Amino acid sequence: MKRLKRMVAVFMMVVLVLALAACGKSSKTKDGKTLLTFQIWDVAQKDGMQAICDAYSKKNPDVKIEVQVTSWDEYWTKLEAAAVSNQMPDIFWMHTNEILKYADYGKLADLTDLYEDENYYKEHFSDVSIANSQGSDGHIYAVPKDKDTVCLVYNKEMFDEAKVSYPDENWTWDDLTEASQKIYDATGKYGYMAYGDDQLGYWNFVYQNGGYILTKDKEKGGFDQKATRDAMKYYINLQKEDWCPDQNYFAETSPGTAFFSGEGAMFLEGNWNLLSEMKNYPDMVGKWDVAVLPKCPNPESGDGRATISNGLGYATSATGKNLEIVKDFLRFAGSEEGQRIQGESGAAIPAYEGLEDTWIKVFDDFDYVIDVQKCVDMFDYSVQSVNNKYRSVWKPKVTEELLKIYSGKVSIDKGLDKINEYINTAKNDE
Amino acid sequence: MSKAKRQEAFWGYLMVAPTIIGLIVLNFYPFFDTLKLSFAKTLPFGLYKMQGIDNYVKMFSSAEFWKATWNTIYFCILTVPIGVFISLIVAIMLNSKIKGRTAFRAIFFLPMVVAPAAVAMVWKWMFNTEYGIINSVLHAHINWVSNPHIIMITCAIVAIWSAVGYDAVLLLSGLQNISKSYYEAASLDGASKIQQFFHITLPMVSPTLFVVIITRLMASLKVYDIIYMIVEQSNPVLTDAQSLMYLFYRESFVSGNQGLGSAIVIWTVFLIGIVTAVQFVGQKKWVNYEI
Amino acid sequence: MNSSLSKSKKRRTVGIYIFFIIGSCIMIFPFVWMLLTSFKTVGESMQIPPTILPNSWSLDTYKDALKSLPFLALYKNTILLIFWRVVCAVVFSSMAGYAFAKLEFKGKNILFAIVLMQMMLPSQIFLIPQYKMLAKLGLTNSIFALVFPGLVSAFGTFFLRQAYMGIPDEIAEAARLDGCNQWQIFSKIMVPLTTSSMAALGIFTAVFAYGDLMWPLVVNTDINMMTLSSGLATLRGQFSTNFPVLMAGSLLAMLPMVIIYLVFQKHLIEGVAMTGGK
Repeated sequence: MKRLKRMVAVFMMVVLVLALAACGKSSKTKDGKTLLTFQIWDVAQKDGMQAICDAYSKKNPDVKIEVQVTSWDEYWTKLEAAAVSNQMPDIFWMHTNEILKYADYGKLADLTDLYEDENYYKEHFSDVSIANSQGSDGHIYAVPKDKDTVCLVYNKEMFDEAKVSYPDENWTWDDLTEASQKIYDATGKYGYMAYGDDQLGYWNFVYQNGGYILTKDKEKGGFDQKATRDAMKYYINLQKEDWCPDQNYFAETSPGTAFFSGEGAMFLEGNWNLLSEMKNYPDMVGKWDVAVLPKCPNPESGDGRATISNGLGYATSATGKNLEIVKDFLRFAGSEEGQRIQGESGAAIPAYEGLEDTWIKVFDDFDYVIDVQKCVDMFDYSVQSVNNKYRSVWKPKVTEELLKIYSGKVSIDKGLDKINEYINTAKNDE
Repeated sequence: MSKAKRQEAFWGYLMVAPTIIGLIVLNFYPFFDTLKLSFAKTLPFGLYKMQGIDNYVKMFSSAEFWKATWNTIYFCILTVPIGVFISLIVAIMLNSKIKGRTAFRAIFFLPMVVAPAAVAMVWKWMFNTEYGIINSVLHAHINWVSNPHIIMITCAIVAIWSAVGYDAVLLLSGLQNISKSYYEAASLDGASKIQQFFHITLPMVSPTLFVVIITRLMASLKVYDIIYMIVEQSNPVLTDAQSLMYLFYRESFVSGNQGLGSAIVIWTVFLIGIVTAVQFVGQKKWVNYEI
Repeated sequence: MNSSLSKSKKRRTVGIYIFFIIGSCIMIFPFVWMLLTSFKTVGESMQIPPTILPNSWSLDTYKDALKSLPFLALYKNTILLIFWRVVCAVVFSSMAGYAFAKLEFKGKNILFAIVLMQMMLPSQIFLIPQYKMLAKLGLTNSIFALVFPGLVSAFGTFFLRQAYMGIPDEIAEAARLDGCNQWQIFSKIMVPLTTSSMAALGIFTAVFAYGDLMWPLVVNTDINMMTLSSGLATLRGQFSTNFPVLMAGSLLAMLPMVIIYLVFQKHLIEGVAMTGGK
């Protein structure tokens, strides 16, 4: 009988624990405060986000906000599943890749009238930032959080060794390849590492050449345009040069890892990674710096300059339980104060116009100050990151086709035709 | 029905109830949901509309799907015969009376207690073309992780390394059940070691061997973790390495096409069903149960 | 004659030792390499040819890994996950396994077919539906969420049914004549007879709960509620191909399990051997 009793005891414990687990999930803390969850995907920004939350709690002692981090890959699987069952976190980051899908299916709260001043967004955020926060209907579904650009990161020591002058505003694609060759000849290390990525790779080159990935109305692909195709061919063929690793190499070693271990002289990097790279590679501090992207010497149209600019936003669910409180927090996050805290924490360049310096100042703490002003300078000619409603349908197929081109399974021309077809037919799949 | 019988049935239902209810809720409902979705066009956020067999038509006419099916079968061919053969050798060696065999057994079993995520990471690092220790030792420049013809072999090596100790331990328990008297008799008759292996060891261990082969085959058909951790989605050899369950993952969670993903799962279950059927028939035919 | 026999025996023993030593090297080397890499800097890890021993035994990678992941919470969650999965699997499977093996009731075969069929299905297909159920209950990011898919075990039921089938009916019959009811026969007589099988199932369940990756990753996104496996995957997301830090994280994640294993390896392995030996 003893055994039976023990068994019953175990059962009781299971039930008890389950019951407790169920209780623990209320949105109130023990002392009656409202507890909100805030989901993000970048660990490097956790402290910055928590600082904003704490500043808000200081003004509103009844509200406590907890920042949770999950990795990028799982973030969207998780958020979609949460959206299906109306269990989305109270506050979460939105990305241009996904905002149209979420907004158009009515999952996000409409924040167009968040501020009493109806011109608030227009006055304080750039057109690109606002575009990154809009749904297909033109309404605003996320408070602009930050903005970013893509810059050229280079290894000063390798340039010195090859006696090549550092990249500057006048650099063109030709300078890029020439310098790469010289560095390769002099040091045996890779030059520019032309990784087959979109945002941190060929998109920039396409727009510099006057081409485009999507038409203005976002309905059709631009891979049938000469300017786009020429830029793609140029970019893809860079991997055929001795001084550039091929896509197989990148499958095992990311360009960032290769750069910071001294294997290559240049790569394209998003400004949002610079701070953690300064911190993670203390031995490299002082040996590298940042430049604007080289321009296209003979573009089909335009002045040959472009950089892809993306931006995140703070969003909330359309059906959240604490919608009014959350909206009040979002108002704060989009205010000058909230954006300033973000910039000063080094998390990212605030989307709020005029606060760019707060982020730049963070880099003053290091022994060697890299020229991050260049990242901000590029906003003058930045291009909005590419997206449309069907992006999640065509993006994996485009990546796969591109890999086929890189591995030589299809010719560039045929592959680009196929890519354009994928983009054009993506909406039929929806 | 007698009272005792009724009481027995009552206890029977009561005692299977938690398990059966759990299985229905946790596994059967999801399975039928998957079956249903395989006939539906799925939209974001769990919306769908029924559309007949379109997903299957699309699946069977997709080169990527057939490639994934072949990859899965190829992975089975690589891991099952070779892996089980190595395990059998290890088991036979462990069955000999030498000092320190428990230590050796513990070493071979070690990968089982290490998270597969960690295992895949360290192997990927060792297989790195430029900086990996394996190429360095071999003085070679083999693209273990990025050559389309080699990638499956790489994954199979990791899979075999992970499972060899586990399978060997199972086989060892089968070997230990074989009475010594058979070998003594055979030795007196002048049978060589190799003859003894084929005429005594193999038939006697066949029930365990069969179980090991079938479980390994089932696991290989469902393979996902190892390939997912070694071959990232930006790797050019993705299509040469993705198994059916990897393709399912990408269709369902990356491309948001759950309908097609579900059809792929149904196909995988069908393949597993064939293996199970073979198991039932084969057990009677090939396995020696007279011990 | 005698000496030649012992000579060949000796030669065979030497052969077996050589086999085991080579085999052990292959089995252990990845762990050694993990350890050595974890002390290197990124730059050193990418030297050609690779250095065997690190230039300096720096602990920075461990600091980075510890900074990025709350290891104490991960250990705690993993232990709780394993504990509850084992308890649930053993308790529910014992009951069901006994009923399937020893009791007669209508529809038994159909119900058992359900158990067998579950074992055929790939677990990935349960992911989204199970997640939806949990989310509806508002239970994500909890220990219960981690345990959820393992509340019942088809394999455990199947395995313990085999164990109960091996117990002669006469034992139960004798107890019945002594006036025990069904529950008493089960709990007082039958359960004690299968302790070794239950232990085997427990060990088996623990090993698999520990390795489970996809489910904890999706269901518990709060880094303080993750398990060692899912925490490691998150670390990979952060450090991409910075292998020294990844190796340090892997080692920290492995350490407790490997220590437990080294202490109890005999029982562990023998337990697992039972699950397949029938």
